[in-house]
Amino acid sequence: MRRRVAVTGIGLVSPHGDSPAMVFDAVMAGRSTVSRWDEGLTEPAVVARAPFAVERWFTRLQLAGMDRVSQIAVAAAESARTDSGLAALAEDAGIFVGCGMGGAAAIDLAFSCHIGDRRMPPLSVPAFMPNAAAAHVAMRMQVHGPVMTYSVACASAALALAEAAKAVAHGDTPMAIAGGSEALLVPSVVHAWQALQTLASPAGDDPSQASRPFSSDRSGLVLGEGAAFLVLEPLEAAQARGARIYAEFAGSGVSCDATHLTKPNAAGQVRALTKALGDSGLTARDIGYCNAHGTATLVGDVVEAEALRSVWGDDIDRLQVSSTKSTHGHLLGAAGALEAALTVLAIHHRALPPNMHCPNQDPACGLTLVREPGTQAADLSAAISNSFAFGGTNAVLVFRRAD
Amino acid sequence: MNTIEELKQLIHKTFAIDTETLKADAPLEEYGLDSLSLAELLFAIEEHFNLDFPDSSTGIKTLAGLSQLIDDLKAAKAS
Repeated sequence: MRRRVAVTGIGLVSPHGDSPAMVFDAVMAGRSTVSRWDEGLTEPAVVARAPFAVERWFTRLQLAGMDRVSQIAVAAAESARTDSGLAALAEDAGIFVGCGMGGAAAIDLAFSCHIGDRRMPPLSVPAFMPNAAAAHVAMRMQVHGPVMTYSVACASAALALAEAAKAVAHGDTPMAIAGGSEALLVPSVVHAWQALQTLASPAGDDPSQASRPFSSDRSGLVLGEGAAFLVLEPLEAAQARGARIYAEFAGSGVSCDATHLTKPNAAGQVRALTKALGDSGLTARDIGYCNAHGTATLVGDVVEAEALRSVWGDDIDRLQVSSTKSTHGHLLGAAGALEAALTVLAIHHRALPPNMHCPNQDPACGLTLVREPGTQAADLSAAISNSFAFGGTNAVLVFRRAD
Repeated sequence: MNTIEELKQLIHKTFAIDTETLKADAPLEEYGLDSLSLAELLFAIEEHFNLDFPDSSTGIKTLAGLSQLIDDLKAAKAS
């Protein structure tokens, strides 16, 4: 017996802020959060930082051994719970967290202490372990069900959501908070990303426009940070308690390319897209909007367009597509959660977030992009969110109107 | 400033605990310090006083105990 699953809460600590309504408005307006970063870097970079007032959430004592990635995870998860209207989670609720790297600031500090022959901070290990964020969320919320961490690079949070929805659908847990957190904007990590030659150039006149998905002049991805969580519960339970239901979590599809560590593969993405549609019981024609992975790398955008065209076939022009990374950057292990939240809000508000900074669409990325800020979509009933990871894992989430 | 006062200032700086509330003989647990925050405090003390605590020092539970240990280590270092 598979129960229908509702999304009843959204919690964010994102480059656009922490209020879901205000974040969605800012994204709809096409306002970029990307800025240039020079200080402490060998080469300048463009990044999207998430504003976060740590003292609103923790005493100094509570911050012992707690990396930023865990701080923003707790804040976003608590916000999601509050947003859902639940006073507390069920004791055996689940916590499903995507996180690509763990505590990057703690890793950065530990290595600099090691290399500089300085005293090693004693709590480095519990601060940087990848499951620290999930553990902190569980302690804060006092839940004792499955508390899981998914580290699948850029698909981490989408995987966490997919697995959480399955756990709720199959009755393994009565409800779940699922999403992701990533905070790796520290010099050593950004330096490592720069060495990989995948980041957007900071060279343009306006750094805020550096993230240019599907544009013929795109130059790479913009690293972002943040945390995003959704509250998932059985649709019937949500209706019974009169909860606001943003959307139904209709299904998911997961696959692995198994071809290359960093280069995406259309066949693998097609597999995930097809499985997601099948799992949700919807057809390509039912999907009105796709929140694309769209990282703005030269190879990635073309491959994603090819995969979507392959699955949608003659219906591809009916599918409105945008990469919201154009304004909030790439949150890596949290990307799938922020983008799932925006996809859910798109359905809820019947509005399509724009794909910004694409004055000349790459002809090799033949998709119908949402080009105008403020685009309304009165008949939007279902949407997907794509996450395609380094390592080849692909995750596609499907949401639909619950009514 | 004596060692206890210096310790109180350091605890205030590290954990934002009001120095007025800190008592020399009260267990540090009473101020909310657990094993992890105590480890962080010992690290801050080592940094501040430029000392290395022996491994056996983890059993210390009060400010007075910490202060005595710091004074002993400083004296041993000076001699």
